[in-house]
Amino acid sequence: MPADLLQRGRRRERSGRHVSQARLVRRPWAATFATAGIVVLCAAAAGIAWAGHAARPATPVGKPPLVPIPKGHWAAAPPAKVIPVTLPTALSIPAIGVQTRLVQLGLTPSGALQVPASPAVAGWFVDSPRPGATGAAVIAGHIDSYLGPGVFFRLRELRPGELVYVRRAHSSLAVFRVTAVRTYLKSRFPTAAVYGPVPDAELRLITCGGTFDPATGHYLSNVIVFAVLQA
Amino acid sequence: MRTATKLTRLGRLAAATTAAAFGLAFGPAAIAAPAASASSQVGWIRLAHLSPNAPAVDVYLYSFGSATAQIVLKHVSYGTVSGYEQVAAGDYTVAMRAAGAKASSKPVLSTAVDVLAGHAYTVAGMGPASGLRLQVIPDQLTTPRGRALVRVIQASMQEDTVTVTAGNTRLATNLKFASVTSFRSVKPGTWTVRAVGASETATASINLTAGSIHTLVVLDEPGKLVIDDLLDADGSKVEPAGAARTGFGGTAARPGAALLPWAAVGAAGLASAITGTVLVSRRRRPALHAR
Repeated sequence: MPADLLQRGRRRERSGRHVSQARLVRRPWAATFATAGIVVLCAAAAGIAWAGHAARPATPVGKPPLVPIPKGHWAAAPPAKVIPVTLPTALSIPAIGVQTRLVQLGLTPSGALQVPASPAVAGWFVDSPRPGATGAAVIAGHIDSYLGPGVFFRLRELRPGELVYVRRAHSSLAVFRVTAVRTYLKSRFPTAAVYGPVPDAELRLITCGGTFDPATGHYLSNVIVFAVLQA
Repeated sequence: MRTATKLTRLGRLAAATTAAAFGLAFGPAAIAAPAASASSQVGWIRLAHLSPNAPAVDVYLYSFGSATAQIVLKHVSYGTVSGYEQVAAGDYTVAMRAAGAKASSKPVLSTAVDVLAGHAYTVAGMGPASGLRLQVIPDQLTTPRGRALVRVIQASMQEDTVTVTAGNTRLATNLKFASVTSFRSVKPGTWTVRAVGASETATASINLTAGSIHTLVVLDEPGKLVIDDLLDADGSKVEPAGAARTGFGGTAARPGAALLPWAAVGAAGLASAITGTVLVSRRRRPALHAR
């Protein structure tokens, strides 16, 4: 009897083992389904993130980072006579969170405007008037690198009336007021309006914009900010 | 059967996720960027006193029809030329009063100026005090490529006429008092400019860069002539060819790139389909075992 009981007990044990094994067999299916669901969600999320990044939002997201308004001597209105103005060293545009040192830009061998080697800094065109002197000083910066935003990524968000600060050697400061922000097809670049003579102290900020042509690796337009020295 | 239902649910989920991904991925791209536009219909005016024997004056600039002056320059004496003031295009009145005279008093002189957008003007008191007049001199804001522009205003009363040269280039020949030459294109460089009158001569070393526009004013100083070099306008010495290549496309919307979420969701769907198939075939196996 005790042996019989023992056997029954073993059978029960065995049958119990059978039940738990069956559950184990069923559970992996559910687990696999759950995993599959997660995979789909993750893939979709990754897709969204990727596409969201690729399709740059047309409107600004969030507030610009805080950039302090530079301190220093405010340049007086341009005088009628030629007085020396020192070289520009740094640029600050609090409205769009730009703060960068300025490199010097010349011409490429083909005679085009040289652009900064780094997408993170802007540059002043050395053959343009110095910022604050009579004439339009020209500063260019990249909208982006191969991977992400450049120093002038948000240039097109500037609006008339907003201020642009150019620090010059010996800590003098030229303050410019934005008068216009315009986008031009590169094939119709407004050479005279950017590089031509003007009777007061002005500033032109240049970056890329419009449609990107993957075939040539270039944007089809330039975004140009026009600004005048704040009297 | 249950597996099939699960698979259908999974399929629905996948479809819904795909739709959501599509909506989120392509939604923002569909919003067109607003084109920034701002018209700057402005011109420039500067004011000058170029009458040697006329006393100092107060110069007022009024928008036409307005009783309140937009700009007032106090105590402007002979030889003074203001900087350019940017003004909205339109009609203006320039009035001169004796220095210190009330703004409400009758002006000694006044003239109308029609400011066109993108144009600059010099409004100068010219001539002898006895025949003082306000003259509107149109300025120029474009240079031939790679050249400088120069003109001369003869504001010396000591010399009836002057001849002005920059190197070997004649800028003015026997130019009469209170008159102005037209602009002349000059090769960029530092030039020795000479103004020669009947009794006096003035010399100045003047740097004329490409893209710059200068007005040289011949002025009287006690017992001598001087040349005042005014930089009317300046631009880039060299005009770069074409546009600026200021982007690499890292933030650009590209049609190829936008297909990736599709591919990801598609791959996920495929994965779930395969999993489902595997599950269905596995379900049959334990049934065989049970037998």
